[in-house]
Amino acid sequence: MHIYAFGSICRGDINPNSDIDLLAIVNYYDKRLDPQIFSIYSYKRIKEIWLEGNPFAWHLHKESQYIFSESRNDFLKELGSPQTYRDYLSDCEKFYDIFVQSKKLLSDQSTNKVFELSNIFLGMRNIATCYSLGCTFRPNFSRHSSLDIGEDSLKIPIEVYSCLENARILSTRGQGLQPHSHLVKQAIESLDLIDIWMVNLVEKARRYDKIYKQNCSSKTSSINN
Amino acid sequence: MTKFTNRIAAQRHLLLIINTSHLFEEELFGLSQKAIERWAMTNQISPNQKILTLIKEAAAKLFFLANHSQQHITEEYMDIVSEVETVGTKIQKEIKDLNSKNRVS
Repeated sequence: MHIYAFGSICRGDINPNSDIDLLAIVNYYDKRLDPQIFSIYSYKRIKEIWLEGNPFAWHLHKESQYIFSESRNDFLKELGSPQTYRDYLSDCEKFYDIFVQSKKLLSDQSTNKVFELSNIFLGMRNIATCYSLGCTFRPNFSRHSSLDIGEDSLKIPIEVYSCLENARILSTRGQGLQPHSHLVKQAIESLDLIDIWMVNLVEKARRYDKIYKQNCSSKTSSINN
Repeated sequence: MTKFTNRIAAQRHLLLIINTSHLFEEELFGLSQKAIERWAMTNQISPNQKILTLIKEAAAKLFFLANHSQQHITEEYMDIVSEVETVGTKIQKEIKDLNSKNRVS
């Protein structure tokens, strides 16, 4: 078994809302490990996500700290760098779709507002992480990645951002106060702004992908010639 | 639809059943263990109440799917997808029963 810490605690950007992310890598089911505390992966699956260039593999590669193993070796370090992340476009599109669905429901119905606002935050965070990992040299895995991807950062009023983050924490950790209705209203009114930002990231990812594929095909044809 | 978006849709469906019932003072914000614990405590739902047991059962199944979503679709995975739907139907029935009881009392 190997145990690692990863995420905010390894970046040092901790605050009272931070949780401690722990990873356990095992060969077999181990009843000592509480899945509410550990992200539990098999060695086989870790090797697979490394080969896929999965964002989680990159997250672990960039921001994890070895804590324990019976064999006293650092398994993740020995794996080296994951493969290049190539699914950024489809991932950005997937998180945009999640956003669109929640945006529509927030304007159509009065229930599950916190849950839908939480999905908005999820979409914002993940699209920023996938975009920054796939299309820039500065991958950002933090909870606040949407605010920190250089010129492409999201620009919305801080109280709206806090309302969305608060909804995410309520939905996942059950902590915090229910957002005031005027803040929810303000957040819903800002969704068009977030929509434009996300569409721009998807478009940029698409252009980046097109250039990448053109470069690949010109390299292939020059080899063939 | 990806498995990830399917899980969000399943969660949304279950939350809608609970939150449109208007039986509870505070809505259920999510199906994480901690969100459920908070909801039960705020709404003074005792641990052995059927509605809470059913919600926890559905959440546990969704949690299992989340932790196995990276793997190939197995028969077990598909069985659990259909079990989530079955628990959803049971929750719907329980909400209906609770509503009837409320009307009588």
